Amino acid sequence: MLVSLKWLDSMVKVPDGLQEFCDRLDLTGTGVEGVEKVGANLDGVKIGYVETCVDHPDSDHMHVCTVSFGDGEEPTQIVCGAPNIRAGIKVAVATIGSVLPGDFKIKKSKLRGVVSCGMICSERELNLSNDHEGIMVLPDDAPLGASFAEYRGLSDTVLDLEITPNRPDCLSMKGFAREVGAMYHVPWKYEPPVAVPGPQNDEHVEDFVSVEIADPERCPRYTARVIRNVKIGPSPDWLVERITALGARPINNVVDVTNYILFELGQPLHAFDLNAFSKQDDGKYHVLVKAAEDGTKFTTLDGVERELSSDVTMITDNGSNVALAGVMGGLDSEVTDATTDVLLESATFSTAHTSRTSRNLGLVSEASIRYERGVDASTCNEYSEIAAALIAAVSGGTVCQGVVDAYPLVPEPVELTLRPARLRAHIGADISDEEQFTILRDLGCEVKGASGDETVKVVAPTFRPDLIREIDLYEEVLRIYGMDRIEATLPGGAHAGGRTLDQQRIELISSTLRACGMNETMTYSLVAEDDLEKARIPEEGRGEAVELLNPMSSEQSVLRRSIIPGLLRSVAYNQSRGVANVQLFERGVVFGTAEGRKTPKERTLVAGVMTGSFNLPGWNQGAVEIDFFDAKGVVENLLRELATPKLRFKALEADEAPWLQPGRAAEVLSGGTVLGWIGEIHPLVAQEFDVEGAVAAFEFDMRALLSTAQEQRPYVDVPTLPGMEMDLALVVDEDVTCERIIQSIESAGRKGPFESVRLFDVYRDEKRVGAGKKSMAFRIAYRAGDRTLTSEEVEKAHDKIVAKVTKATGGEVRS
Amino acid sequence: MALMEDLEKLRDDMLSAISQAATSDALEEVRISVLGKKGSLTSVLRGMRDIPPEERPIIGKLSNEVRDRIEEALSQRAKQLKGAELEEKMKAGAIDISLPGRSMPIGTEHLINHIIRECSDIFAGIGYEIEGGREIETDWYNFTALNAPKDHPSRSMQDTFYIVDRSGDVSDVRGESDVLLRTQTSGTQVHVMEEKKPPIYMISPGKVYRHDVADPSHLPQFHQIEGLVVDKGITFGDLKGTLEYFIKAFFGEERKTRFRAHFFPFTEPSAEADVSCGICHGEGCRFCKHTGWVEILGCGMVDPNVFENVGIDPEVYTGFAFGVGVERLACLKYDVPDLRMLLEGDMRFLRQF
Repeated sequence: MLVSLKWLDSMVKVPDGLQEFCDRLDLTGTGVEGVEKVGANLDGVKIGYVETCVDHPDSDHMHVCTVSFGDGEEPTQIVCGAPNIRAGIKVAVATIGSVLPGDFKIKKSKLRGVVSCGMICSERELNLSNDHEGIMVLPDDAPLGASFAEYRGLSDTVLDLEITPNRPDCLSMKGFAREVGAMYHVPWKYEPPVAVPGPQNDEHVEDFVSVEIADPERCPRYTARVIRNVKIGPSPDWLVERITALGARPINNVVDVTNYILFELGQPLHAFDLNAFSKQDDGKYHVLVKAAEDGTKFTTLDGVERELSSDVTMITDNGSNVALAGVMGGLDSEVTDATTDVLLESATFSTAHTSRTSRNLGLVSEASIRYERGVDASTCNEYSEIAAALIAAVSGGTVCQGVVDAYPLVPEPVELTLRPARLRAHIGADISDEEQFTILRDLGCEVKGASGDETVKVVAPTFRPDLIREIDLYEEVLRIYGMDRIEATLPGGAHAGGRTLDQQRIELISSTLRACGMNETMTYSLVAEDDLEKARIPEEGRGEAVELLNPMSSEQSVLRRSIIPGLLRSVAYNQSRGVANVQLFERGVVFGTAEGRKTPKERTLVAGVMTGSFNLPGWNQGAVEIDFFDAKGVVENLLRELATPKLRFKALEADEAPWLQPGRAAEVLSGGTVLGWIGEIHPLVAQEFDVEGAVAAFEFDMRALLSTAQEQRPYVDVPTLPGMEMDLALVVDEDVTCERIIQSIESAGRKGPFESVRLFDVYRDEKRVGAGKKSMAFRIAYRAGDRTLTSEEVEKAHDKIVAKVTKATGGEVRS
Repeated sequence: MALMEDLEKLRDDMLSAISQAATSDALEEVRISVLGKKGSLTSVLRGMRDIPPEERPIIGKLSNEVRDRIEEALSQRAKQLKGAELEEKMKAGAIDISLPGRSMPIGTEHLINHIIRECSDIFAGIGYEIEGGREIETDWYNFTALNAPKDHPSRSMQDTFYIVDRSGDVSDVRGESDVLLRTQTSGTQVHVMEEKKPPIYMISPGKVYRHDVADPSHLPQFHQIEGLVVDKGITFGDLKGTLEYFIKAFFGEERKTRFRAHFFPFTEPSAEADVSCGICHGEGCRFCKHTGWVEILGCGMVDPNVFENVGIDPEVYTGFAFGVGVERLACLKYDVPDLRMLLEGDMRFLRQF
């Protein structure tokens, strides 16, 4: 909300020192979001005294003056052409450097050979009126040297304040003056801008208008007044100045008054053209407040036709809609230049209905902002009377006697119990009973009780709908007392905390992936509908896409079901910027749903992509192009850190993993639990995502990783006796896998002194090895725990293994 | 006693030859020439059998002395030569240590997760547990249980992404739904209080969503760290002390904290906390909009309505809660110019942290 300090100052003393005032507002809960000085364009215009005034030697109408500003400096010489200039008067002087309205900059100049250092101003030059007959002659008591704008009250400071939703009372100048009074414990006052009641006629409003409220929940109070014989025209300057300072555009005198009262008192008003209503058989206008009919169309003041639901409350006249209650009036009944009689509505509407209507129609107005936070029903009539008097005063009309006041739901004052000692315990500060009472009284509460009472009763004012519980009073006392005065302490009790085992493992997963050269990233959870399809990832096992009801764009209309597409976009992002080596991983949530399901399923995945190479080619090491085995190496390290048991890599067929390049895809399992997959992204998927080159990737289910991880691996004695190693080069058919040979070696060696086996070379050569064949070289380690093996023993064991393995794999020992 | 003279001569010749040997190889040649099978000393000793028995002890003693002497000289010279040769070798092996090392580059942690981990460590250190949470919540957990019932104006403070409700339930407000992407981590307060009994000391970091188009200062998804304490006798002073501790631990001991009264539906009294500007040290600059302070979190005492919604007696227990924006912390610490960089995966950005 905008607040004019000049206006505020008419109700409560605005503290000196703008910065301190703003800080104090911030600390007590009214955020200052902006400070704007209005009238600042008269900077440099000062009040001066004309010491001397002689005729210009070369002109018949100009004068050469010397002007002093009471600052002890030499008087300034100024040439002035006005007929009423003379010595011994006080004037407004635009000094050198000041900028007058119309972007007129004052410079040192020469007028017919005489130096002039400034300008003595007329009213028109300062945009105060059209008077250009002569310069402004100021009263003798005008303070010499002072800013003219300040002296004339032209300058104002407007604060842009953030009023929190619980404080509807602060959405008016009067309410805000009360708040400032409480903040500084100083008195404040409110006086209506004109005498109330204003000029009245002989007619009685009840002879014109009747009001009926169909549902008091929607409209607790509706008052109507009639002002007759108004003349629509512009508002007086003082009124325009005030409402424009607070951000309203002047429209006409009647509408401006409704805005004025809204700003000053927080009561939204609506002025209808009475003659737009239709008179009933009894000769009266009937206002009926009721629910709108579903599907009704209604054109609001802004010229937009809107479709309504029964949730909207309408002001109706003889069955036709005239206004959206609490939000905006209708186009057909607005006050126009031809209006002579005004029906003035001052009412309160339900916060919930106003809020929903405003949100449903996407229509926010000064009125709806106030109604959805709560407008005090008890002052509807009082404020309407002030408004009517003001309308009459500015439009020349007269007010009909009395008021039509439909008031079905009179609010009961809320009486709260306050335990001053508990307040102190809750806040942790020694705020005396009397200090608490003073703060509450300053805010408009009535305190029934005395210092030392265990409990006192506090009656909350009707303009504070947020004060309904004891805790609400604590908040008021604390914020006015000052949070800065509360001593900072730490909770006393002992309590243990820290990370759970799973949380530690999640950190371990991240740190291991980083240690493997992977860079952690984050991608958008919101993706396009065809995200999964584009990546050729089947929906199976991932659920249906979770759709947003209100997406911002089709590119971000559903929630992701895989992290891979997002990571591929990041690869493309890097490649398009010349970064060829990309290794990214993300741990994040994916979503899936099904018909009949309220909350979708959430699953945390860990996924990674890598392309290019891990390092740039260096002076002492080459760069190896990333392929499947880089991803596998990362995953092997990860699962080693997690001590995942019974690890298995199972080749995935093309139809099992269509997003991966056939023949370069594997499922990763721990026993029977599927942990995830590794593979190279299918070239067509890469192309779809504008990615170049081979991309190795993996995606793992976090839950599966955590549930299979083991706390520790079993300890194995470090060997103390020497072992022996023998090599075996085996020529096998291409389709014999490494895994199969190793399993065969392990199984053959089970009973002997076999210790471990490691593949160290794969060799293909059509001539030496044969077509469709490969030579695989293994190093087999032998060791016994209880003795040093003899070479005869090892050779015997080795021969046994070789025999079994060649038989099992159909391989031959390469000589 | 010509043999004695021979021996003495041999000794002197050999000692001279040893001291003149310039390399280990030359020294080895000397050794072989004297001590080898056909060596000069060996052959002298071989001549022992021709010496009269009475002279043998004297000659024997002398020859032993000569041999010891030669061996000692050999070993000393060998040591000298080895040392010199090693020096030589090392000199030749000197390298340009400014050449880059040989390693596989280590990966980096995402800035946001880095900050979450840092904050989690601070709170774990003062006895807080770390709780997870769902990213999709029902209206109850995101709003209603947090004392922001339907039509509460505080709801319009947050632009919510609603999810299509597949259960068939319909919302009162057009375009809204009972299921939504959480707009705040505060819902975890409710989950934790439903599941655990006080005392509760917890933080819950996580992703939240707002209906905002991504631009340099907004993202539709970002992160918060929720904090909740529920215990007997917790005061607003405890809230201040705890957050001051956190802010100093995170930003540095010299930083100051201030609390401004504010409004949140689920806390009362509520406040926002500011940290003194790290750029101008509170003097006022463009970064802090000339206030000397930067806003970093919202906090307050747990509203009794929230306690009642989860079955905790607000007359017995009190507590405080807070929510910190992680991206905000990241920007304050690292001056990230455009929040979208956090989601682009640009290696040149990621590898800075």
